[in-house]
Amino acid sequence: MKLSEDDIYRTSTQYKHWSFTPAQLAAQRQKTNLVAAERVKANVARQRATRAKQLDTASASESDRANTPGIENGNGEGGSTPARPGGEVECLTVAEEMKLVDVFCERALELGAFCGFPIEVTATGIQFLRRFYLYNSPMTYEGQNISRTCIFLANKTEGIHVTAEEYAAKFSNVTSDQVLAPEYLIVQALRFNFDVRHPFRGLKGAHLELWEIAKGKFAPLPHDSRTGEAAQAEMLALPTKTGEPAGKRVSVNEFEKRLTATYNAASAVLKTAALLTDAYFLYPPSQIMLAAHLLADEPLTLFYLSTKLPPSSPIHAKLLSTIRACATLLSSHRSFTSSSTIKEEKEARDKKEKSAVAALIKKLRHCRDPDKLDLVQLNQAHKRDAVQDGSLEEQKAKRRKLEREKAKKEADDFWGPELPKNGAKAG
Amino acid sequence: MTFSPVLSPRPNPPGTKMATNATAAKAKALAILNNSRAVPSPSVASTPGDGGLDLAEQMNDEVRRRFVSGTRLGEGTYAIVYSGHYRHDPSKLVAIKKIKLNADFKDGIAMDAIREIKFLSELSHPNIIQLHAVFSTKDQNISLVLEHLPLGDLEMLWKNHSISYGGADIKSWANMLCQAVWFCHENYVLHRDIKGNNLLISADGTVKLADFGLARSFADPGRDMTCNVITRFYRPPELLLGCRHYGGCVDVWSTGCVIAELAIREFFLPSETDIQQLSVICDVFGIPTEETWPGVSKLRHYEASFGAAAPKHPHGINYWKQRFPLLGEDGIDLLRGMLRMDPMKRLSATQVLQHPYWTNAPRPTKKENLPKQGGGEKTMGEDLKRRGGEIETGRLDKVARKLDFGAMKK
Ligand SMILES: Nc1ncnc2c1ncn2[C@@H]1O[C@H](COP(=O)(O)OP(=O)(O)O)[C@@H](O)[C@H]1O
Ligand SMILES: [Mg+2]
Repeated sequence: MKLSEDDIYRTSTQYKHWSFTPAQLAAQRQKTNLVAAERVKANVARQRATRAKQLDTASASESDRANTPGIENGNGEGGSTPARPGGEVECLTVAEEMKLVDVFCERALELGAFCGFPIEVTATGIQFLRRFYLYNSPMTYEGQNISRTCIFLANKTEGIHVTAEEYAAKFSNVTSDQVLAPEYLIVQALRFNFDVRHPFRGLKGAHLELWEIAKGKFAPLPHDSRTGEAAQAEMLALPTKTGEPAGKRVSVNEFEKRLTATYNAASAVLKTAALLTDAYFLYPPSQIMLAAHLLADEPLTLFYLSTKLPPSSPIHAKLLSTIRACATLLSSHRSFTSSSTIKEEKEARDKKEKSAVAALIKKLRHCRDPDKLDLVQLNQAHKRDAVQDGSLEEQKAKRRKLEREKAKKEADDFWGPELPKNGAKAG
Repeated sequence: MTFSPVLSPRPNPPGTKMATNATAAKAKALAILNNSRAVPSPSVASTPGDGGLDLAEQMNDEVRRRFVSGTRLGEGTYAIVYSGHYRHDPSKLVAIKKIKLNADFKDGIAMDAIREIKFLSELSHPNIIQLHAVFSTKDQNISLVLEHLPLGDLEMLWKNHSISYGGADIKSWANMLCQAVWFCHENYVLHRDIKGNNLLISADGTVKLADFGLARSFADPGRDMTCNVITRFYRPPELLLGCRHYGGCVDVWSTGCVIAELAIREFFLPSETDIQQLSVICDVFGIPTEETWPGVSKLRHYEASFGAAAPKHPHGINYWKQRFPLLGEDGIDLLRGMLRMDPMKRLSATQVLQHPYWTNAPRPTKKENLPKQGGGEKTMGEDLKRRGGEIETGRLDKVARKLDFGAMKK
């Protein structure tokens, strides 16, 4: 009377609604990008038309004109959309959006660590973020608000009570209203699916099982004829690299070190690369766990697999190739370092990444959806159910300039080095 | 947690033919996002002509329009429940649980709502209430569309003296309850509010565990949990003594209390305060000692509760035989196993289902033959008013559940 991990996973919303093939993911992102770009262009055009009308009717002096809300000064710096009448707004590509979302996720990871939240909370928040941006574009909703609120929401879904006020106080210039404003937007985009299945517990389980075998307490499955002693002997003599012949048998104590090192290395991958890539969309937690384990210690992982499935079975081969594909995805992430990573190389990579991101953020400023800058206001309007078409246009135009400035400032705060208020590490 | 060797194939394995035109891709995207089946996806693309609605907003609206809400069925602490039906088919009934907007709630969507939605979305079992859909309204009220359960709850059942029932009926209800609890625990979910009026009854007589507003996942060892959960009559001694690490055994205690209630047709362990609750428990089970419950004296409230107390001894088997004749000897054995003071000695949900009681005579009554009460209007507000909020950060809740004693008088 025991449900298997798989029985349990198959009924999860993660499996039912948030698992995709690479092709499906790509198609959905293409779609989201298209819709968002069209909307940005249309909203900018509408904004320009309103502006032009204002210009026609007002016989404004040059100086007045310069102060007219919404008028741009030509070069488009300062978070405004390019003013060339009729000029096309240059929107982000799918690849650029993905890159930005990856950056949002990295920032969210830092944010969670800074706040001292348990890794499950941060990990869930990051998956919320990735799920959100599968159906929304960074051009429509910028990352700082969404990621902040995703982490807030993740605290609640993981059963940890944090008040909006306490949470907002961790940031400079953030109010609880700002934290709460995008919450409905996010839960809707998540289709109210709040459960995220992580590979962390699975890793602990595997670690404990391996430890039992090392101690000679192997509990074989029916396919396995190895005795506890045989399994132990095989394990203690495992080579460090696949393909090498069995090594010298080490003591159990010695082997424990290897187990611990493997656990730590795999755990590090689960807490970084696994969260920051599409791994959760593409693979179930058990496979992500095994992939991280494989990256940490391949012979040990292959041994572990052999206790689960007869190595001769076709399922074994298929599973292994899936795990290898997942491992490739994980190790392709910038955060992944192995013993063969050269330090200079990594630094150069990080530097290049930084300037690429800076350029992207600049580009994003020119293609933000002007209607979605002020989430707090948007949220209140929603609550009042009072967004009446047209009548608010003028007010909106006035506010928009202020909002643009505010948004830019917030973005600077977000992307700039000082995420925290007082820079100190949280406990 | 062990890893299962069976592959988890994705719903759409790699290589699945992708839809090529944009509309089909969109329909697919919607289908993926949409929780519910067999409903045409909105064909409008999210272009500026759509009133600026996001894809997610459009889908939410589409879900919302699928249901029609009707008369009020009942009210709990954080929600009002209405009857409702599918718009396209008024004969398909649902219950719509609308989360109350709490003006002084400054923290966005309430934890109760989040917990209930989170866990019910994941659990699919014949003895657990089914969540059909979730939507929010324009004014940002969240509603849960639940399976319609018109025949009241287990508490109403034992209180209703126009209904008579026997040992085989109790066994049948108790078994459905225990299946539900077992399934929650297999899914690493603790319910933490098991009691008669959270066990609703469907039109065909099936018992369904409902109200997951206090549920949580099993915690990793080392992470504190609140002990201020579970309605008092059903709260196990370890929580009353301030234990902050617990597992499925807390639900098993509550489940035992519910089964006992069914058998005696009154509250088994009623009390007026938490302290009194502990003493009511000890009247039956004795005061725990290091011998009967190793480690008990280290629990936070042990000294304050028992430091100066004269020893109390547990009732012997005769008490149980006299009080629970409807359960039979094996039923009593099971019940006592579920109500062990020491949580380590208490039966797990799995062990409960393995007990010979279920297979011994009398066989549990078939669902269709179970005594039922008339459906419909319940006098609500009789709900034991309610839980202390779950506050994991340790702030003890001041609004512990107040009990409605009006409802207790028979
Ligand atoms: N699916 C349902 N069908 C019929 N009545 C229901 C249903 N769900 C809830 N109710 C009624 O509403 C009351 C409150 O629901 P419950 O889920 O227990 O809310 P709360 O968490 O606020 O206690 C229940 O006691 C019951 O009378
Ligand atoms: Mg209730």
